Amino acid sequence: MGRAAAASIEHDPQRDRYRAGVLKYAEMGYWQPGYEPSETDILALFRITPQDGVDPQEAAAAVAGESSTATWTVVWTDRLTACDRYRAKAYRVDPVPGTPGQFFAYIAYDIDLFEPGSIANLTASIIGNVFGFKPLRALRLEDMRIPLAYVKTFAGPPTGIVVERERLDKFGRPLLGATVKPKLGLSGKSYGRVVYEALSGGLDFTKDDENINSQPFMHWRDRFLYCMEAVNRAQSVSGEVKGHYLNVTAATMEDMYERAEFARELGSVVVMIDLVIGYTAIQSMAKWARRNDTILHLHRAGHSTYTRQRSHGVSFRVISKWMRLAGVDHIHAGTVVGKLEGDPNSVQGYYNVLREDHNPVDLQRGLFFEQHWGGLRKVMPVASGGIHAGQMHQLLTYLGDDVVLQFGGGTIGHPMGIQAGATANRVALEAMVLARNEGRDIWNEGPDVLAAAARSCAPLKAALDTWGDVTFTYESTDTPDFVPTATAA
Amino acid sequence: MSENLARAEDCERLDLDGLYRESAVAQTIGALDSDLVGLAPVKRRVREIAALLLVEKLRRSIGLQAVAPPLHMSFTGNPGTGKTTVAMRMASILHGLGYVRKGHLVVVTRDDLVGQFIGHTAPKTKEVLKRAMGGVLLIDEAYYLHRPENERDYGQEAIEILLQVMENQRDDLVVIFAGYKDRIDKFFASNPGMASRVTHHIEFPDYTAPELLVIAELMLQQMQYCLSDTARAALEEYIERRMTQPNFANARSVRNALDRARLRQANRLFEARARPLSRLALSTIEDADIRASRVFAAAGGSS
Amino acid sequence: MRLTQGAFSFLPDLSDRQITAQIEYCLAQGWAVSIEHTDDPHPRNIYWEMFGPPMFDLCDAAGIMAEVRNCRATFPKQYIKVNAFDATHGWEAMRLSFIVNRPSNEPGFGLAREEGAGRNLRYTNFPYAAGLPHGKRY
Repeated sequence: MGRAAAASIEHDPQRDRYRAGVLKYAEMGYWQPGYEPSETDILALFRITPQDGVDPQEAAAAVAGESSTATWTVVWTDRLTACDRYRAKAYRVDPVPGTPGQFFAYIAYDIDLFEPGSIANLTASIIGNVFGFKPLRALRLEDMRIPLAYVKTFAGPPTGIVVERERLDKFGRPLLGATVKPKLGLSGKSYGRVVYEALSGGLDFTKDDENINSQPFMHWRDRFLYCMEAVNRAQSVSGEVKGHYLNVTAATMEDMYERAEFARELGSVVVMIDLVIGYTAIQSMAKWARRNDTILHLHRAGHSTYTRQRSHGVSFRVISKWMRLAGVDHIHAGTVVGKLEGDPNSVQGYYNVLREDHNPVDLQRGLFFEQHWGGLRKVMPVASGGIHAGQMHQLLTYLGDDVVLQFGGGTIGHPMGIQAGATANRVALEAMVLARNEGRDIWNEGPDVLAAAARSCAPLKAALDTWGDVTFTYESTDTPDFVPTATAA
Repeated sequence: MSENLARAEDCERLDLDGLYRESAVAQTIGALDSDLVGLAPVKRRVREIAALLLVEKLRRSIGLQAVAPPLHMSFTGNPGTGKTTVAMRMASILHGLGYVRKGHLVVVTRDDLVGQFIGHTAPKTKEVLKRAMGGVLLIDEAYYLHRPENERDYGQEAIEILLQVMENQRDDLVVIFAGYKDRIDKFFASNPGMASRVTHHIEFPDYTAPELLVIAELMLQQMQYCLSDTARAALEEYIERRMTQPNFANARSVRNALDRARLRQANRLFEARARPLSRLALSTIEDADIRASRVFAAAGGSS
Repeated sequence: MRLTQGAFSFLPDLSDRQITAQIEYCLAQGWAVSIEHTDDPHPRNIYWEMFGPPMFDLCDAAGIMAEVRNCRATFPKQYIKVNAFDATHGWEAMRLSFIVNRPSNEPGFGLAREEGAGRNLRYTNFPYAAGLPHGKRY
């Protein structure tokens, strides 16, 4: 062994890599520009805004590192693992069109990093650590590709669009709902009155609001009893299957199970939960719903705290994917024309993620990856928030047939009363579907169709007179990057 | 009444040519002329019917007396004379002029309409009719529907149902009866109700020998073969001889003959496979491939 | 009482022309159309009587309308509905269903409440008509 040999040991790349100290993430193996993602990799697309002076590749590598195995300094214990495999790989960085300083970073994660069938684990891994990272000014999880191998570890929606329709025996038109208003304060008996009026007037569903759980003004058991009385009465006067989303959200899982069991005992076809109960609770409830043949409605309470701003947070399309895997049957996904945020292209992207068996890449609608759902059941999107009968032609065109259209204020605020409000919405919807099937151009002739239907339906006429001109036109804060201008909702 | 007619004439300049070109029927008729060999009387009849329907359409459009023109037809002739092909074109013409809503063609024989036991026929016939509605129903060898000598024959039931639909749902369906002329004539003679509802009778003459030769060459062209000069002469002779023999099915028989010639060509090439082949050799039918036919042997000589 | 099952029950009864247009829409989507009838309108009565098998491969509504008229003539006092079935992957289910005939007098439903413990109630909807045997209901 001469000097030459000694020299070669000095410059061994493995020893250099694991020498104590701080290395750039890109040098630790988290930046691999040539990497070809495998079929079983989980892919994530982050929108990164590095701090000034931070190189985008390094930032991407840092995100990859901090969302997988790295820490801010080299650790020798890495050598005890097949670390090359467990490291996430940032394999591509593109500038975001029209937004200097922002980049799209594509990162691949080995499937072994994740527990099968666990949204809690999937999210803890990907967004658990990295969003507060100082070298990034802002970070958003824009889209994910879940490989079929991982999709298959989830049970998915307990009911799904097809089975829901078969249970309700309702085919060929969107479903109609309304949230009971005012949001808070009604007693159980008064609450049930609203439900009866709305369902007997023609809606298919009524809904607890997200913050109706069990408050001093109305305990949950009372609400459940009065609502089921209303549901059954409405069923008997119409001959149709009706439902009310009984909110079983509570402080603990034990309380939630107790409430859900009671709902089932009373014969409700549907129960409801809020997003704020957390991913673990949602999966538990999905399992319960499947065991008990109940439709599971999810209110996306709290999501806009992190989904709304384009630069930072988690995109709602990712939430939609997680929720489909976790297993909900209904999820609020936007109305386009109502009072809440939702650009038409983005919203159509969310609806496609929820309803299709296969999503091709569709940059215009914000879908960056091809996604196969492997036969996982389809989630029924819910459109709720500031919509009224006068917009029926727009709603049908943007959202299609497999959606629940919820007109809370639009039913309960009707000048002729709640039943009339429900009837107005139902007649408007049926007339619009009839016209669309006949081949009419409802986008342009919609108002004519509504006016014609209103001639034989006084409640509809009153609704159009009251709200016909109401629109919510503001520029969207979260539009897709690959469309020239924000489309006015 | 005549006053009304005169007034109608005065106030409008009616554009028959425009209607013709608008309806795209011109294309179908043009294609009929160019795509199908021979069939001169057929083409003439088709054009005549099309003209009638076009004028009817124009008359209706300005409110003149609009009795739905009778459209049911019979196509008579030997097998292989193009009846099904022309039926398809006819469906397209009727659709182009708005006489049938969808313009598809459904081809059936007796077995598709008649059942084997009691109660089987009506649903079977109705099934077929439902499928054909909006288009044209071609009943091939229609005379087999009627078997008076067999008591347990359910064909009569099918005929009744057909009659009813032909009369009451003229807007929904056009029926074409096809088969040998003499047998179709006999069928109509014993079913006067049926006969009275069929207005247009088109006879499909046998192809002449030169026409069959052209058809043969078109077929070969489509299959990407060609004939050597001697082969062409042989084929001409073949056709003339074959036409006189029994069971001649016009274009179909020619097709069969060409298939056999291809078989012989393939075997000839195989026998001589030691020598390399040219592309032309692969595609050429030679004299010998045709002369080997039994048709020549039967006549007692080959060249 | 007016039974509001089906996609268009809140609109005035559909004319034959309107029904034809809906059937044409179904055929254009490639759906198979079928006709069913019943005299038991309970919402959980899923299996109405089939009036003939589902009709596949049709190009035009005329044949189906003939069957609708046939069914009306045969069962004038029953509820009759037209269904459209989609056999493609991911659906394999009914896509449209609407009522095309109803009895002239619809007595509606009664609601029976069976009282249980703790103000719990078990509900039963029963159609008044179903109190009579088949054939005598409407």
